[in-house]
Amino acid sequence: MSVTAPSRSLLRRDPLIAGIVLVLWVLLGIFVLYPLACLFARAFVDGGVVTFQPLVDIVNNANHRRAFGNSLVLALAVGIGGTALGFLFAFAAVRAGLSKRVMGFIDTATLLPLISPPFTISVAILFSFGARGLITYDLLGIKGYAVYGFLSTAGAEIITYFPIAYLTLRPILASIDPNIENAAFSMGASRWCVFRTMTMPLSIPGVANAFLLLFACSLADFATPLILAGNDFPVLPTEAFLQITGQFDLRGGALLSIMLLVPAAIVFFLQRYWLAGRSYVTVTGKAGSRSRAEILTPAMRYSLFALCGAVALLVVYFYALLLFASLVTAFGANHAFTLKHYHVIFTEGIPAIRDTLIIAAIGMPLGGLYGVLVGYLVSRKTFFGRQALELVSMINYALPGTIVGIAYLLAFNDKPVELTGTATIIIACYIFRYSPTGIRATIALLHQIDKSLEEASESLGATSFTTFRRITLPLIMPAFFTGLGVVFIRSMTAISATIFLISINWTLVTVRILENMTELSLGPAAAFSVFVVVIVYFVLWLIGRMLARVRSGGAGDGGRVESILGG
Amino acid sequence: MTVAAMQAVQITLTGISKGFEHGVKGQIFAVNDVSLTVVPGELLTLLGPSGCGKTTTLRMIAGFEQPTSGSIHIGDRNVTGLRANERNIGFVFQNYAIFPHLSVFENVAYGLRVQNKQDDEIKRAVQEVLELVGLGGYAQQQPHQLSGGEQQRVALARAIVFKPRILLFDEPLSNLDAKLRVQMRSEIQQLQKRLGITTVYVTHDQEEAMAISDRIAVMSGGKIVQIDVAEDLYDHPHNEFVARFIGRANLLDGKLIGVEAEKVAVDVLGQTVIVSGAPQGSKAGDAVRVMIRPERISVAREGSQGMAGKVVTRTFLGEKTEYHVAVGEHSIQATVFGQSRASAFALGDAVQVIFPAENIHLIRI
Repeated sequence: MSVTAPSRSLLRRDPLIAGIVLVLWVLLGIFVLYPLACLFARAFVDGGVVTFQPLVDIVNNANHRRAFGNSLVLALAVGIGGTALGFLFAFAAVRAGLSKRVMGFIDTATLLPLISPPFTISVAILFSFGARGLITYDLLGIKGYAVYGFLSTAGAEIITYFPIAYLTLRPILASIDPNIENAAFSMGASRWCVFRTMTMPLSIPGVANAFLLLFACSLADFATPLILAGNDFPVLPTEAFLQITGQFDLRGGALLSIMLLVPAAIVFFLQRYWLAGRSYVTVTGKAGSRSRAEILTPAMRYSLFALCGAVALLVVYFYALLLFASLVTAFGANHAFTLKHYHVIFTEGIPAIRDTLIIAAIGMPLGGLYGVLVGYLVSRKTFFGRQALELVSMINYALPGTIVGIAYLLAFNDKPVELTGTATIIIACYIFRYSPTGIRATIALLHQIDKSLEEASESLGATSFTTFRRITLPLIMPAFFTGLGVVFIRSMTAISATIFLISINWTLVTVRILENMTELSLGPAAAFSVFVVVIVYFVLWLIGRMLARVRSGGAGDGGRVESILGG
Repeated sequence: MTVAAMQAVQITLTGISKGFEHGVKGQIFAVNDVSLTVVPGELLTLLGPSGCGKTTTLRMIAGFEQPTSGSIHIGDRNVTGLRANERNIGFVFQNYAIFPHLSVFENVAYGLRVQNKQDDEIKRAVQEVLELVGLGGYAQQQPHQLSGGEQQRVALARAIVFKPRILLFDEPLSNLDAKLRVQMRSEIQQLQKRLGITTVYVTHDQEEAMAISDRIAVMSGGKIVQIDVAEDLYDHPHNEFVARFIGRANLLDGKLIGVEAEKVAVDVLGQTVIVSGAPQGSKAGDAVRVMIRPERISVAREGSQGMAGKVVTRTFLGEKTEYHVAVGEHSIQATVFGQSRASAFALGDAVQVIFPAENIHLIRI
């Protein structure tokens, strides 16, 4: 031991960490890089020769070009509309001085779309505006109203995704010191001028971030267009799905999903490298004592409240409709009360429910642990390839589900890793696709925990494993539960990737909902949706309770249900 | 066995450096070729302004950082390259680093639990050490219920309970208010003497360093510029940096006129003063810095001794009054203790400034 230390490798210094890093790389290799490689190989390699002819064919196909354009237009519309709506809600929440009860109502209403299976809003729109819709047919007496197309799809996606913008923007707006606005106001600026010159510029990074998030969500959304877009408004995710399930054209599906990859990758890198660090305000900063902003007149406050209230009511109406539809014999034709739809889901539907819960139950702890481990390693340890590890761990999260689903389908159908038809493939998909939220939460939380705590433990003789288990892990429990929550919610509600991965042995509730919809048995579909919302709400409540228990000394704000879902 | 029964060991740093790559400046050294011996049972303070390398040195002794070159011994054991958990040290952090999710008892017990000690042994040791730091009844308190001073005591108890071979402090008092700081520093000193444990203490506060230390190592620019007991640092600083950093000093240009074995004649402000002890290796004709502390200057209203000056500023501070006196083009700081209001000098007063020869210290340039 006479040589000095710096050249000692991680392996010798900390063999346990080195081992974990190695295992993580192997897992990421199998479940992130390998499927992507398979996807590209399938798309561009034919009989051992690299060829771009299929891509040229796809791009030359007018239908596919249209689908690509439609996807972008839809994503743009949803990005702009959803961000505007989210900003309105966030602004009302932090500046309109609404009472706790009103805020509670608005928060609950905005939470609903986030924890619902993907078709919920679409179905409710069909119930309201379809050919036999409650509003179009019963109320307005319009016969044969064609609801399908761009408008209804964009509307449904905006309602579904604007809560994400709201949750992203609220902390940003809240962290703008009202005194900044008051100062501008006191210098003689008009209300509009204050908003234009202070509030807006300060929240621009947040707005851009919300827009990109929503753009990516819409780009990846498969369920809403499948129900509402109709034949005249094809988009890429559904086209790719139909290419594979309808025409068994795996290469075509792979190529279409690769077209989707281009805008998705652009959004990802914009967020990561352009927006990162552009925020003027620290989201985690302590609020301190703040004076109230005076820039809103009562009339403005009431109109803000009215607008948000109306949107929140619309959301609540959609869900009430769904509940109603699940309790009547045939919505639109026979409104007699019945429980038969629930009878159906708790008899025929039991396998799907059981499978879904088993998969969620296995995926949750694994996903939570994976998120905490990766987050801890990349923010607290130095090792070769640390940044690469973080980047690779984010890939499946950033990619639209359709791409991931098709890539898994291609990769795990055959040896060397044959997983098709197993629960493992679905669980792996969830873990590597949805745990990055837990990774992010862990990194954010560790950022607030001083490194000296870990050094103190080390100086007291603890190994790095003991330090992690006894000190770090308890302190990052909120992030662990965030990871659990997200994996659970997505296990119950996701479809875009997993629709390619289900089998006779293992199926999912969301897929059953889709099947019900295509068979036009809307009652059971509604009942299933209600069931999912209730169970997700219950589990989130449970996690919130557990979080309240593990959190001591106020280790950050990781425990709120909103933070589980935000961003 | 009581907490006090620890075998004191020596800490030896041999030529340690810590370099890193700076984006603009290239290779720079936070610590540059530092050698140091902390004798068994001693409390040695690393003192210096921020960025001087004192904390980095301490963290290398702890094992939180590894030196780029050089070696570290604790006792006979070469610990270079060992991690902190392999060195058997007690470390007290600037922010205390109390584990927020563990009770006071569990915080203190942590090091013993890591060693898999028996429950009853842990209980006894923790209780004993909590009594020692004056937190007897606090075992079941949660960290957020503690005041700053109490957290500091928990951190101290946690660092000593498992009988580490050495104790390390990283600016432990900087988060406390002034009064508590004075109280805690004497408690730390008493505890250290009682335990007889070899201790390295880091601070940027020279008063704290003088109050607590057996010896002080003054650091600047990644190097140790002088190690001495407080009195020697104050009276015989080796260079201007130490003279200025420890206390206040008048530093004037002087010239050696004649150098003998014991005595040296120096020309300062146009006067010749006979001083004992020339800087090593100096000869007649050399330029030197003449240092005298403000409180060692005599100021008289009249008389033929000393140099004529004029009072420029006066600051009344209770037990003492500080003056700036203009002598020629120089401004001399002088502190007078216990001056009554009647005998105080007024602005513009003509005074005589006297440098007693025994209070003059010469620094080689």
